Amino acid sequence: MQALKIVITGSYSAGKTQFIRTISDIETVSTDYAVTLDEERALKQETTVALDFGTIAINDRLNLYLFGTPGQERFDFMWEHLALGALGYVVMVDSCRPAHFAETQRLMERFATITDAPFVVAANKQDDETALPLAYVRRRLGVPFEVPVLPCSAFDKASVKQVLLGLLRQIAAQVST
Amino acid sequence: MALEGTLRDMSLGDLFQVFRMGPKTGVLLLAHEGERGVIYVASGQLVDAALARGAERSVVAAQDEAVILMLLWDDAAFTFRHDPAIAQRPVRMLHDAEWLVLEGMKRRDDPTQALPYHRITLDTQLQLSPLPSSAESGVSLDVNQWRILSQVASCPNLRTIGNATGMPPDRLTRIVAELLAIGLVEVVPPPRPEPRPRERRDAVMALTNAGHLNPALVGVAAGEVNGTDDVRSQHVGRSLLDAVMRRVRGL
Repeated sequence: MQALKIVITGSYSAGKTQFIRTISDIETVSTDYAVTLDEERALKQETTVALDFGTIAINDRLNLYLFGTPGQERFDFMWEHLALGALGYVVMVDSCRPAHFAETQRLMERFATITDAPFVVAANKQDDETALPLAYVRRRLGVPFEVPVLPCSAFDKASVKQVLLGLLRQIAAQVST
Repeated sequence: MALEGTLRDMSLGDLFQVFRMGPKTGVLLLAHEGERGVIYVASGQLVDAALARGAERSVVAAQDEAVILMLLWDDAAFTFRHDPAIAQRPVRMLHDAEWLVLEGMKRRDDPTQALPYHRITLDTQLQLSPLPSSAESGVSLDVNQWRILSQVASCPNLRTIGNATGMPPDRLTRIVAELLAIGLVEVVPPPRPEPRPRERRDAVMALTNAGHLNPALVGVAAGEVNGTDDVRSQHVGRSLLDAVMRRVRGL
């Protein structure tokens, strides 16, 4: 059985675990533990400390593996581990929490030093009327023009599919060049 | 759901830009020490505002002056909630958001304080903002603002803009902060750092205490996919990617 790997990363509470849950063929494997910091517990009760794992069976000989990274920076030793061998990665960001932009920027800079794999930015919660526009998300994160910033709703399968297809197109473009 | 944060995360000027880009309709609530501000937004335009103080919430300013006073806050918690009913409110503001932002900047001793996430130095590179069509602005720039704006496309950084215009650095920085605050220019994102050479998987594995993970996942997580250390080092053919895309489309 062959396997291809895509990594879903992003800051704390960006929607990475839900993204994988929405699209995975299998019940996702998560390593969630109770949140210990008060300010983080205000956003959610549990957090991923090692990885989330889901799969999409491409055919009987090939699987696409989706790995979600832990969002909190104190678990960032896992990022390098997970990025190794990835075809590409998705950087998720909450479109309604500008407080997370600085952390997402740091994460993007760190990933850029770990891997030169193609990536896209998925602006989560774009189904919310108050969500920040994609152009603003791009500007604040300093996303280069050639990297797509895609709308996303991590609970919506069609939306998650479009993000994955966007990343696969980026990967295909790199393969073609 | 709501857009939430603090003015340290996102300035009031940026919020007004985002309202226009949306365009958004709703209520922006701000809390700053003992003061509470409310700004009503309809189709991206500010239509009314009030600033209250103290436990009894006595109104200390309304409409334009209330917004300008809020623009002088260095920090405040904010929540923006969508509310289509605001579209029915009468317009009580005299000026548009850009005018108010520029007025707020003029009243500040240090206008760069209004942009906490932009550090403006002489090496800062600027570019013109690609304004969306829905973001038509009636802002009137003064001569010095126009002089700087006209140099942005041809000068690589503030230093060269200063040389071209003969403007002293402190004045130049102040005007650039004003142009940034109303969204006419943007700071050019820094180039991506070069990826450092790949470390061996063993070294990465040694860094990670993976003992508590499912052993079946550890190898794959660490890049042991496709039976190799690094699938990207192999040729991932276009036909393989096409197969993956077809499958994802069919989900």
